[in-house]
Amino acid sequence: MKTKITKTLIESWQYTFDCAEGYEDEAMEDFLATLKREPKEPTEAMINGTTFENQCYALANDPQAIPEKWVNGTRKVAEIIRGGQFQVPVSCDLTIAGRDIWLYGICDVVKAGTIFDVKFRNKSLGSTDVYGKYLDCSQHPIYLKALPEASRFIYLVSDGDDLYTEEYNRSNSKSVEYYVLNFLSWLQSSPELMKIYEERWAVE
Amino acid sequence: MIQHGYEMDFSKQTFSVILYGAPGIGKTTLAMSDGNMGADTLLIDLEHGVSRTNPVHRMNANILSASTYEEVLKDLETDAAKQAKNIVIDTAGSLVDYLKDWALRTKPDAKTKTGAFNGLKGFGYVKSELESFVNRIKTVMNKNVIFIFHCDEKADKDGNPIQRLRCEGSFRNTVWTGIDFGAYIQMLGNKRYACFTPEDEFFAKGCHGIAGHIEIPNLKDGVPNDFLAKLFDSARKTMAEENDAVVGQRNQYEKIMAGVKEMLEGVTDADTANACMKAIMEMDHALTSKKEAGMMLNAKCKTVGLRFDPKAKAYVPDGDQK
Repeated sequence: MKTKITKTLIESWQYTFDCAEGYEDEAMEDFLATLKREPKEPTEAMINGTTFENQCYALANDPQAIPEKWVNGTRKVAEIIRGGQFQVPVSCDLTIAGRDIWLYGICDVVKAGTIFDVKFRNKSLGSTDVYGKYLDCSQHPIYLKALPEASRFIYLVSDGDDLYTEEYNRSNSKSVEYYVLNFLSWLQSSPELMKIYEERWAVE
Repeated sequence: MIQHGYEMDFSKQTFSVILYGAPGIGKTTLAMSDGNMGADTLLIDLEHGVSRTNPVHRMNANILSASTYEEVLKDLETDAAKQAKNIVIDTAGSLVDYLKDWALRTKPDAKTKTGAFNGLKGFGYVKSELESFVNRIKTVMNKNVIFIFHCDEKADKDGNPIQRLRCEGSFRNTVWTGIDFGAYIQMLGNKRYACFTPEDEFFAKGCHGIAGHIEIPNLKDGVPNDFLAKLFDSARKTMAEENDAVVGQRNQYEKIMAGVKEMLEGVTDADTANACMKAIMEMDHALTSKKEAGMMLNAKCKTVGLRFDPKAKAYVPDGDQK
């Protein structure tokens, strides 16, 4: 039996450990909804993220386009991703701890050997420390594994005005196996959750 | 002047560096490690702390002391500034403080009614002036820029220590974007290390072969203070090697992508689409050209009413039974 793993699934599981104190129940509820693949109502933050991303694509495709909002941030991102391909699906097969896994993701942008991920922050970059935030993120290891021709992964983080970039490659990233193995080991300790995972995330 | 990739000369490549760590660990001395007793360095001493460094290592350095941001700008026009190879900003957090003072004095709306700093408007001025200041040093003056930051030890959610740059505003984040090397300076045992690879406790950045923990020499009598000079030389050498390795791939990538764009012009129906797909599969791909070409073909096919049939492994008219 082959099962699918995405960065959304791993991140939602990781969040049950990384969430702020007092939000543990909410984080677990969110993870269970992801595990059960229940549709979620998009939050305002998610809608802003999608709007920003689409504006960046539009401006990258047409330098004359005028962004409705977040003009400076949109321009900075569009300049970097112009000429790339957007929303590129990537996948690969893995065998981890005797399990067949199908790793799947959609890269925001692929351009000349680099994967870019566009992130929108609803808080100003001046209000909080962002650098190093993606060090433990499973996204870049997963995408670099699924697209072996790419050698770099760059997070493009904007608050709509400023741009912060954080770059990873294979030598400074944790392995995909590390994340997947930890996730599966955790699931294995709860047969009920493992059953849900195997049912909902099975692939042909 | 237009150069081919293979002609590029990295011997005069300049770099931007962040050095941060605890007080007294030797950040300023390290920042002046140009191998020439500071002669190649202009130190913008915004905290008046250079006196704490060993005089031997700053013997020939030019030290810029200023009480306002305008004085810093004026001093950057001097011959000493123009001749320096390295410009050290000691500290970047203080530069932001100087800029806050400058905004308060020169921008009426950077001040609240009570005369305090208006964070929202004021940091807007600070940010754009800081960008132009850094661009001027890096791009127009073409210098190596070394930003020194103090660091604050904070605790993560689980109480583990994490090191953060001490600096107000968005600069502590955006500064990393244009940085080549960012090192956290720490003591391990009785040795000092510059750490260029991020860890849970601190963020760092390395490239061109500079990574991990690099020991900082103990500057006993006669040991030259040349850590950064050697680091820059090593990075330049690696850049040239990387360029030699990559330039062929990059040229091949450009050639493939240009060829694919031309082929896509001819895609009008399922036959031409499938012929194009076959040609793409047979190309000698470089970097991510295969993936990108596939995406471009898919997008083009949609515009001419085709879809990919995974069973037939071919493009078919969109109206055909799925």
